[in-house]
Amino acid sequence: MKKFIITVLGQDRPGIIAAVSKVLLELDYNIEEVSQTILQDQFSCFFIVAGPERISSAQLVKALEEGVSFNLFFQVREFEKQAGLGRERACEPFVVTTRGPDRKGLVAGITAVFAAFEVNVAQLRAVFRGGDEPLNNTMIYEVDIPSSVDQKELRRALSERARELNLEISIQHRNIFEAMNRIL
Amino acid sequence: MLTHGEIISVLEMLKSEHLDLRTVTLGLNLLDCASDDLKRFQDKIYDRITSAGANLVAVCDQVGEKYGIPVVNKRISVSPIGVVAAPFGAEEMVSIAGTLDKAARDSGVDFLGGFSALVEKGMARGDRALIDALPQALAATERVCASINVATTRAGINMDAVMLMGKQIKAASELTADRDGIGCAKLCVFANIPEDVPFMAGAYLGVGERDTVINVGVSGPGVVKKAIDRLLADNPDADLGQITELIKRTAYKVTRAGELIGRAVAEILGVPFGVVDLSLAPTPNVGDSVGEIFQSLGLLSIGVPGSTVALAMLNDAVKKGGAFASSNVGGLSGAFIPVSEDLNISRAVEDGYLCLEKLEAMTSVCSVGLDMVAVPGETSAETIAALIADEMAIGVINKKTTAARIIPVPGKKAGERACFGGLLGESVIMHVNNAKADNPFIRRGGLIPAPIHSLTN
Repeated sequence: MKKFIITVLGQDRPGIIAAVSKVLLELDYNIEEVSQTILQDQFSCFFIVAGPERISSAQLVKALEEGVSFNLFFQVREFEKQAGLGRERACEPFVVTTRGPDRKGLVAGITAVFAAFEVNVAQLRAVFRGGDEPLNNTMIYEVDIPSSVDQKELRRALSERARELNLEISIQHRNIFEAMNRIL
Repeated sequence: MLTHGEIISVLEMLKSEHLDLRTVTLGLNLLDCASDDLKRFQDKIYDRITSAGANLVAVCDQVGEKYGIPVVNKRISVSPIGVVAAPFGAEEMVSIAGTLDKAARDSGVDFLGGFSALVEKGMARGDRALIDALPQALAATERVCASINVATTRAGINMDAVMLMGKQIKAASELTADRDGIGCAKLCVFANIPEDVPFMAGAYLGVGERDTVINVGVSGPGVVKKAIDRLLADNPDADLGQITELIKRTAYKVTRAGELIGRAVAEILGVPFGVVDLSLAPTPNVGDSVGEIFQSLGLLSIGVPGSTVALAMLNDAVKKGGAFASSNVGGLSGAFIPVSEDLNISRAVEDGYLCLEKLEAMTSVCSVGLDMVAVPGETSAETIAALIADEMAIGVINKKTTAARIIPVPGKKAGERACFGGLLGESVIMHVNNAKADNPFIRRGGLIPAPIHSLTN
């Protein structure tokens, strides 16, 4: 049994997932996990699949290119689950949100602080529509902050970076969003 | 994964709708500090309060920062001093109030409640000493809050106590005449006082409570107002059923935030969590007002016809949403309509839309009562007692809490302004019918018996 991670990118249109999954089924692959999103009008999707040992990643790309006719980009890499940084450590989930006028370097600026504190980004959604309307320019990071990190120091560093980037920033434990929005 | 909408709606509540946790109140039982030696008693209560309260403010700030929702007020409530300090006389009670004030200051809390007596059926010696001490105790301290329960549905109304409170309110006002009678802003007269109120000035820790407990008071009038505004912008024809559903859901969110933070504070302090008080508590800031909700609902101002039913609807929806959100609801749990503490309500008085009689009518469908009502300095003790008695009757007959926090403003007349500052706000002085005149009915005293529906056993 081999595992692959497959990336699919291209112009969005109906039928992409149906076509990709049909090819995978015909080759006897089981889909273990999928994440799909659309950024502006661009389709992007990751599949983790498990299947026959005999097929290489290059053969799988070829089969997808031949079986799916929507002019998409495919990348396939053999995948082994590794003990990854940030996965096994004791962490607390926080949501970091920024709002402020668009400019270059916002994601780079904020994530550099995360990296310095070994804070892992679990989810990132950022929308920059330009202009000065704060709600049109938001970054929402769901992050795991290791328990060993000095939170005061992290807050100070993030606030300082946000000030330099002219952003409003809030750093809140994830539980507050769940408590206020979800019944279960 | 959280949705974009879930995150943005919480942030909006914080940034532009004044969502906060209005108070975390540490309840401290002082009964085991009892002593007939004044110095010994004062040392014991000071040590108990300052040691238990030492980390309260720091922990509240730490938890508030973690969740991004500030805890605005940190407070302490104690066992009723009329019981704990029963052996002492009035002069010693004033000195005890000084000890409480110092303990509050040294713990970093802005108010400490519990300079209280429960006299609904009769006055014990300690209760009488405490009531006698009130004017001086309130004038000499900054942070001590007093409450006197003069009526319950089970006991009736102690009219001797009501009359005495009329006199003491006048006296407290005169002793703080230089600050528009601010002493009375720290004194509530209650019917059916709950034992777990976290809000001032009525907070005290009931004798049926534990050694220590954390009770929290949520807020959120600004959040409710903005939610109504958004609904009506999207759907101008929304009916009152749709609006109450929205208020209920909004109250749920606000209460969940309060409960989460309150429990986190309690856990760090190692203190049991008590109750969430589901009250819409305003402050004298624009956008943080219960009065503004009436205008969002389509009324010209709080006080015009339609205000009582609007308040009844609002109060009930808040309770329903909040009760589902919290595992332990208590305290006052209802909308507050304190005149001077709510900018919009005090403006409604100024503009002539809200009179004392309409305010009294509205208190029959919400908590708490005639709250932060400035009246002319010439109002007699008997008339103040009569206003209190009317309010107590609403509570006793309707089996609910009511309270009166009436402030006669020395040297000022109806229509002039009284300024108390800070959270206590400012207000135009309300007109009182028959303010100066004699009132033999009230002077008769005695106990008005419990109503027939108190016989429930």
